[in-house]
Amino acid sequence: MAPILFQDGMEDVLPSETNGTKSGRSDTVDLNDSTLQVDISDALSEREKVKFTVHTKTTLPDYAKPEFSVVRQHEEFIWLHDRFDENEDYAGYIIPPPPPRPDFDASREKLQKLGEGEGSMTKEEFSKMKQELEAEYLATFKKTVAMHEVFLTRLAQHTVFRNDHNFKVFLEYEQDLSVRTKNKKEKVEGLFKSFNKSTDEILLAATQKDVDDYFEREKTFLLEYHMAIKDATTKADKMTQAHKSVADSYIQLSSGLSQLGTIEGPRLEKFINKVADTFEKARKVEGRVSSDEDLKLSDTLRYYVRDGSAAKDLLYRRLRCLANYEQANKNLDRARAKNKDVHAAELAQQNACEKFEHISNKAKEELNDLKARRVTAFKKNLIELAELELKHAKAQAQLLKSCLQSLPEE
Amino acid sequence: MRLYLIVSASPSLCPGDNPQATHLPRAWAPLARPPPHGSRLTADLFSTNPGALKSPVSEQTTTPEDQRSPEDPLTPPPPAASLTPEPHNPGTPPDLFESVAEGPVVVQGGSPKLSSVPLDLPAGGNGGEGKQQPTFFPTPLQEVSLEEEGDEPDIFDTMSSPKLQLNQAEGDGGDEFIQITVSDPQKIGDGMSSYMAYKVTTKTNVSYFRKKHWSVMRRFSDFLGLHRKLVEKHLHSGRVIPPAPEKSAIGTTKIKLGSDKNADSGSLDFIERRRAALERYMNRTSTHPTLRADPDFREFVELDAELPRATQTSALSSAGVLRLLNRVGETVNKMTFKMDESDQWFEERTQQIESLDAQLRKLHASMERLVNYRRELALSTAAFAKATAVLSSVEEHSSLSRALHQLSESTERTQTIHHAQADADFYVLSENTKDYIQLISAVKDVFHERVKTFQTWQHAQITLAKKREAKAKAELAGRMDKVQQAQEEVTEWEGKVERSQEEFERISRAIKKEMEQFDVMRVKDFRDMVIKYLEDLMTSQQQIIKVWETFIPEAKAIS
Repeated sequence: MAPILFQDGMEDVLPSETNGTKSGRSDTVDLNDSTLQVDISDALSEREKVKFTVHTKTTLPDYAKPEFSVVRQHEEFIWLHDRFDENEDYAGYIIPPPPPRPDFDASREKLQKLGEGEGSMTKEEFSKMKQELEAEYLATFKKTVAMHEVFLTRLAQHTVFRNDHNFKVFLEYEQDLSVRTKNKKEKVEGLFKSFNKSTDEILLAATQKDVDDYFEREKTFLLEYHMAIKDATTKADKMTQAHKSVADSYIQLSSGLSQLGTIEGPRLEKFINKVADTFEKARKVEGRVSSDEDLKLSDTLRYYVRDGSAAKDLLYRRLRCLANYEQANKNLDRARAKNKDVHAAELAQQNACEKFEHISNKAKEELNDLKARRVTAFKKNLIELAELELKHAKAQAQLLKSCLQSLPEE
Repeated sequence: MRLYLIVSASPSLCPGDNPQATHLPRAWAPLARPPPHGSRLTADLFSTNPGALKSPVSEQTTTPEDQRSPEDPLTPPPPAASLTPEPHNPGTPPDLFESVAEGPVVVQGGSPKLSSVPLDLPAGGNGGEGKQQPTFFPTPLQEVSLEEEGDEPDIFDTMSSPKLQLNQAEGDGGDEFIQITVSDPQKIGDGMSSYMAYKVTTKTNVSYFRKKHWSVMRRFSDFLGLHRKLVEKHLHSGRVIPPAPEKSAIGTTKIKLGSDKNADSGSLDFIERRRAALERYMNRTSTHPTLRADPDFREFVELDAELPRATQTSALSSAGVLRLLNRVGETVNKMTFKMDESDQWFEERTQQIESLDAQLRKLHASMERLVNYRRELALSTAAFAKATAVLSSVEEHSSLSRALHQLSESTERTQTIHHAQADADFYVLSENTKDYIQLISAVKDVFHERVKTFQTWQHAQITLAKKREAKAKAELAGRMDKVQQAQEEVTEWEGKVERSQEEFERISRAIKKEMEQFDVMRVKDFRDMVIKYLEDLMTSQQQIIKVWETFIPEAKAIS
């Protein structure tokens, strides 16, 4: 089970298509000799939650066994992310964005609507649409598995993160992590925190001048880029949705035509049936176009929205650090002037300075890294997108051509 | 009774001339209000069903009509007064009879058909009564009759004479060709009194038209007026009349009140939809040989001037209200009267028509959904293209930025393709299916006509029985005077029963034949529609292929 390297951004999302082996399209970056391979070998979808089986293979000495699995739920992944996020030691790094919550609401809603409309369509139509919805549900499921997996593998590949204690606990600890979802108080706290953070961010952005042009530029770029890519993601989603609707409407067209054929009788029946059949096949192709667009385009965009967000967080932390550093400097000056607590102030200032420089260096690395990652991921996915679109369009054209050729001449 | 036509004015009839002077003077012309244009009158005269004439002249003409009707070939008279004889016609016939002599082919003696023959030459096969008025325009008329051979058998099954007609296929006029395009919608006038005018261009090789290729301007109410006239004249012969596009109060008012400059896409769509619908309507009507030869149709297509306002098409006119009431009555009738169907064929066909109707409606609904979704797809793709363009401009990595820009352009192109495909979905598939649903309605109307004639026949039989009873009673009571009257009534009703039975059988036969043709046309149309749609779909896919083929190298070029 080749690890999905985070460079790929969004790897081929349907791992279980190939019986659990992921197509190892990884540009293997060789990490050190000690390996830590993490993947999600299985997943179970219950009523409201999904249970992921996290499987680890490692040669690192810290771990008790070379190979083991645990069962985790989504909340535990979020817990893990938060631990990284809060850790000041990692302030200079881009924390891999957490996987989104598994969301089957849309599918469930559609299934329900279908059930309600059951009376108004033929059995054939109904079963076809049900199949479609089930396939959709399955695709969503596979996607969420992949996203959780990418999160873990990024952590596992990161030279610093992989050694994190919480990560080890997450991978190894066989019991439930007892991560209860935040109760109301904590949720409100969380809200406050993020609110504060954003106001602080804005304040800093307005008041704090950056000493480094590079970061100044990066900040501006990231902000702009973040907006643009977010917008593109939403539009891409709408587009794939519309595509899916077109594909689905072929179902009714196809079955409507079949029924017409029965009524029309021998003169048109063969003709109509061929056409109905073609529509059915065309629908499958259109459906695939839609899902491929979703995978290659929307998901790539979406991932980089989130990664971009994480980068923004990094910049914010750095800026805050800078503010603190400058504050510490002022404090030191005041202390010296008053000749009180000079040593403490000096210490504080030194800390702040170190921190700041550490963050700045790290941040530079991370940002360049992000850029490279982004370009590679886009390139790969755009090429794949184009090739798939081409393949499907050719398939459809061929389908229609052979249908036209085979239509019985009157 | 022979009808003599008195040719008064010179036959060079120009549209601008005083109608009265230039119209075919009918013998009874002074008796009746001269029709606004001659063709209408003549058409009514030669309508097969004596009872159906609505023109004011009809009353006067009933008798000669009755005598003639079963036997006279209904040669649709040429659109008389309004046509200026064309150069290719053997000159403007200064004199009726002369023109006959010059007239092409047909008249040459013995051609069984026609009425086209001048007055005193009895049309070959028509008993003694070949006098038809219309010979004023012998040439066109004669030409008409040639084409109209297919016609005769439909209307006058009892006609033994038309031998020539037999070789021409029923309905399909062999290599005849007529194609009508409706284009250039224009708004004429302003405000509430404004209207849309359309250019109707006809290309044809059918000989009874004056030219091979010409255009006229018509307004929407003209189309409706034509439909109404055709229904009046032909429905009871068992013909399926293609339905005209519906009126739409909202759409029309928007157009009337809007100015040209701010014609929004909504009204443009509406106009385009209507134009396409009118075009389909004209073409369907013209494929039907009888309707094509109908003088009203020909006038509609040929008359180079404004047609008199078909005011009666307005919903609020008295005629409109009357029609509405009639329609309500008919609907009630349809629902309540259950006919004793003895004919298996009709039984099956009626059922098939019903299920066809239901199924087509369902199909149409799913087609409309497809159109909507595809339109949505086009819109969302356009939005995405724009967003990608923005992203590309923000992206700092230059080759990625270029690739994203290409992506934006490619998506822009696919959007156009989707949009065009949505239009094809709509016009080729959805609108045609809608037309078919309306055509099925027209078929149901025809079937219902037959039911009505059956009702008339039944009614007549019942009355006859009553009259016989009355007569018997009178005889018993020894009231000789009453007996005489009763006897007369019995005879009268016997005649009526006979006639209405004939009528019923006639319309049944006509419908059967008509349905055969309808079936052929319907199947062909459906196949054509589907094939065209599939071809459009294929073309779209091929265009999409091209778009992505150009994109791939760009994506690969990202360094």
